[in-house]
Amino acid sequence: MVTVDILADLHDEDETGYVWTFLDEARQPSLIRPGTIVLAGDDDAPAVAEVIDLIPKETGTIVHLRILPGLFDDYEALVRRVRSLEDGTPGSPRA
Amino acid sequence: MDDLRPHIRVEPPPGDDVLVLRGGDDTVQSLRRHAERTHRAFALDGRSVYGLSVFCAIDELGQRQLYRRLASYPVLRASSVGRVRGAGFWLLPTFARPHFTVVLVSVEADELGRLLACFDPASQNPRYGHRRRRL
Repeated sequence: MVTVDILADLHDEDETGYVWTFLDEARQPSLIRPGTIVLAGDDDAPAVAEVIDLIPKETGTIVHLRILPGLFDDYEALVRRVRSLEDGTPGSPRA
Repeated sequence: MDDLRPHIRVEPPPGDDVLVLRGGDDTVQSLRRHAERTHRAFALDGRSVYGLSVFCAIDELGQRQLYRRLASYPVLRASSVGRVRGAGFWLLPTFARPHFTVVLVSVEADELGRLLACFDPASQNPRYGHRRRRL
């Protein structure tokens, strides 16, 4: 189980073609800036997403998210793999 | 508040046998949270509206697209246009295919439970983890 950065219904798409949600659904709204990579959705089905833009509306600020390919687990495995290469973990090419 | 009306696609209504999908194992509580988000963001003909996004497999391309879009969900819940409409819900073709909005009168437990009852129990997503791309 993980904790997402921003709650969203990944089915919610608008005229931009991106997933949308409200900025105040973020755990840490200051983190939500265009270009930032975040974990979005809900805790049992998170998706890695890029923040596209923030659009102020009368009922709150809309955040548009571009859902990136693959699962969170894929990104986690990537980070672990490259970190182990960096650390010279046995079995890695630098060991 | 944005109005859904200009975003309703002009197209023939989908047939009763068209597949309706949502990713995840929704509950009354999760549906309420999503419907309230829509209520906060959108109106229909000038009045706030409770709505829930679903994807409908209106053609073969749409079916491929919707499975890709749902790749983050380990499980899916399926229904059909006929079951949703038969339970008394409006199904509006909003924004780009395969997106539709199920219009809800309220977010009372009865209303949400009636919508949930239109869907089969959650089943494994055959496309879970496959690449998801915007098409």
